[in-house]
Amino acid sequence: MDALLPYLSDYWRQYLDGAMIGLHGLVDAYPPGAPTSISGRARSFPAPAVPSSYADLRERVPDEGDAQLVVLNCLTALEAHRNPYYAAALATAVNDWVRDEFLDRDERLRASIAVSIAVPDDAVAEIERRADDPRWVQVLLPVRSELPWGHRSHHAIFAAAERHGLAVGLHAWGRPGQAPTPNGFTSTYFEDYLANQAIAQSQLISLVCEGVFERYPDLRVVLIECGFAWLAPLLWRFDKDWKGIWREVPWVKQLPSEYVYRHVRATTAPAHLPREPRAIRQLLEMIDVERLLAYASDYPHDHGDGLPRLLAELDDEGRDAVLTTNAAALYNRSRPDGSPDRDGVSAP
Amino acid sequence: MTGAVDLRARERTESQRLVRLVDSDVHAQPMPATLMPYLSVGTRRYLERYGRRTHNDMHAYPRARGAGTRLDAWPAKPGTPPGGDPELLRAQLLDEWGVDYAVLQVLNALDCYDPDHIAVELPRAINDWLAEHWLDFDDRLRAAIVVPHEYAHLAVQEIERRAPDPRFVAVLMPANAQELLGSQRYWPIYEAASAHRLPIMFHTGGFIRNLGAGPPSYYIASHVNTSPAMQTQLVSMVATGLFRALTNVRIVVTECGVSWVTALRWAMDSAWELMGIDHPRLEQRPSEYVHDHVWFTTQPVEEPAQPHHLLYAIEQAELADRLLFATDYPHWDFDSPAQALPRAVDGKLRAAIMYGNALELFGLPAVRSRPSHAPVP
Amino acid sequence: MKVVVAPERSFAAGSRRIVTVGRRSIGVFRIGDRFYGIRNRCPHQGGPLCLGRVLGDAVAKVPGDAEVSKSVLLLACPWHGWEYDLATGQSFMGGAEPGVRSYGVGLEPGGVLAAELDAARTKRVPGPYLAETFDVFVEDEYVVLET
Repeated sequence: MDALLPYLSDYWRQYLDGAMIGLHGLVDAYPPGAPTSISGRARSFPAPAVPSSYADLRERVPDEGDAQLVVLNCLTALEAHRNPYYAAALATAVNDWVRDEFLDRDERLRASIAVSIAVPDDAVAEIERRADDPRWVQVLLPVRSELPWGHRSHHAIFAAAERHGLAVGLHAWGRPGQAPTPNGFTSTYFEDYLANQAIAQSQLISLVCEGVFERYPDLRVVLIECGFAWLAPLLWRFDKDWKGIWREVPWVKQLPSEYVYRHVRATTAPAHLPREPRAIRQLLEMIDVERLLAYASDYPHDHGDGLPRLLAELDDEGRDAVLTTNAAALYNRSRPDGSPDRDGVSAP
Repeated sequence: MTGAVDLRARERTESQRLVRLVDSDVHAQPMPATLMPYLSVGTRRYLERYGRRTHNDMHAYPRARGAGTRLDAWPAKPGTPPGGDPELLRAQLLDEWGVDYAVLQVLNALDCYDPDHIAVELPRAINDWLAEHWLDFDDRLRAAIVVPHEYAHLAVQEIERRAPDPRFVAVLMPANAQELLGSQRYWPIYEAASAHRLPIMFHTGGFIRNLGAGPPSYYIASHVNTSPAMQTQLVSMVATGLFRALTNVRIVVTECGVSWVTALRWAMDSAWELMGIDHPRLEQRPSEYVHDHVWFTTQPVEEPAQPHHLLYAIEQAELADRLLFATDYPHWDFDSPAQALPRAVDGKLRAAIMYGNALELFGLPAVRSRPSHAPVP
Repeated sequence: MKVVVAPERSFAAGSRRIVTVGRRSIGVFRIGDRFYGIRNRCPHQGGPLCLGRVLGDAVAKVPGDAEVSKSVLLLACPWHGWEYDLATGQSFMGGAEPGVRSYGVGLEPGGVLAAELDAARTKRVPGPYLAETFDVFVEDEYVVLET
């Protein structure tokens, strides 16, 4: 929080101070005591769990096997409230801070552009502000939205992202104060946590039905921390419905599943999977994970041990795709030495 | 004539027949005028003057294909909608496919967004109409009791009224209501149903606000969205401890698809392993709650490009004894009893899905008398 | 086998007849001066295809900008609405899937080459579902179906 203050104007510092808004890292989404918010390893370091300095990042985030590139997601702006000017100012401040504190200190680091979640035009302005800097590889949006992301009013964001070769990441959570389910508010963390994947499904449905991938054929969308094991049944249903009702959306010219596999990726955390290897192998037949998944450590979050069990069922080529090449293709705005990327850390 | 096979015709010559096909989701459709005679004068006048003041999902999302119906299911009589003519339903569904039992679900009051004096009358009218014009008409027909679910005490009264009639085999609830379905607000209804061994069928539709990701723009999107919406409802039921509190409750997820149950169970179990200790209502593994208490009608059955993947999903989600075949006649996404399930679903599994599970769940006799009007082969 | 459907005079444009030939139910359509014959059974789940609506193809270059084609006619199954080119029985609902049989395609009446037709058609990818089509022509003032 303190780190961010110098990047805000006097007025917004005064505003934060007056309203006692502490930017302590999405405590609704990641309550510090929740087991999923902070892994055991991350808890061994002093709070806050999310690295708020480059030194912390170097010290805490495991650098297993020579990560060539790490994508940083600072989620602070996902929780902007309804004041649209605040949302824009916060996003700009976050990006300035990430640039100075992280990107400028290590050429392996890349980051997602925080944008206003309130006004698409402001989001576009922020994208344009950062686009020439090749270290920004993605536009970060919350998976939770008031109107589904495919809605026309959001298209300028996708246009800007496509124009600049930026991926668009839909990250779990965001938009506090909004009901996480179609039928209303939940009262337990268990329900709220699981709502992310249902919302991600609705967002995918929207992106396809609204023709986003027809209008922006080079666009890549990443579902970050929304799971993926739900994808096969959704696509079966979606493909079947399209065959009957395509006439309502005649710009959707191909099977929804074709759009999704071409344009959408999902990160590997959380990997909520069955225990039995046989069931995992069946899942691998149903979902083309070698095409779909991009590795994410999701530091400092902890969603269990599904990923190693999935990787154990893949061959070397499959593991390579999931761990390196898919992310590299996603975030290939720039690669200083042509080496593969690895997706990584979330930093509220 | 599609579907019916010679074997079925032969069985009809016997005075009794073994049940081979139960259709767990069929829609009878009253026009507003049909129900008027069953309503009080005041309610009749109110409705004639103002109509129901409720959000109608069909206005927000016009059903782009066939206005939501099979185009060949429109009765010849003008002004009668699909599902409005018992004779046509008998011919086009029961006789044509050899349906032994069909469970009628009337959706006209599924949103229950009426003041209590109207909310109490509409379901009563529907149930009276069902008994008089449908259940008396053909002994293969059964029905789900329509209740004013947003008024739990009134809903319980209606359940008590109908439960003695064994032709009412379930209680109808919507998939979308004013609160999440696990809310204790609705528990008295579940409790009353369970006391009479009536399963509660949560049918797609109801009071739809499209919170969460926000309202989609198209009917196709809202249609596909019924799956993730029901996923959040199941999570709600697990999280609030419904299955822990009402140990004999049985619910039927109706017209929401089936394959998504796999990933939802894995996710709930995973979350339970990670944080269950802090959620005292989750005493058991969530997938166990789901298996113990939840059934699913098949329609609209997912049709994976590789049909055996459906078998994977059934295995992964332990659905072999939980699936109930349904056609959803007369809606456009009707599942044919002959062709909706892939050939890979065969033998004992097919028998369980086509009739075995339903006989057990609804307490229906496995042998029934041949109806006197059945066509002579 | 040739089956006489109706006198040409009494078969109005825009109308259809459904005839039973042996065990097959076949729909015969007249659109303008052309006749089409197509199996009255949807390859999807066996619905009565020929009871469905004949619709011009809907084409949209961009979202929201849709037009109805006058040249490409599709027959939509009255059940799930799956659509088949009235002339060829071809569906356009997604890429090839394993294990689906394809039938022979009937010739166009009037001698229009298949290639010319393809050029005028939607650019959607032909899918694996194919409705069986039949030759229908006028002979001695009668509409004749060839099975």
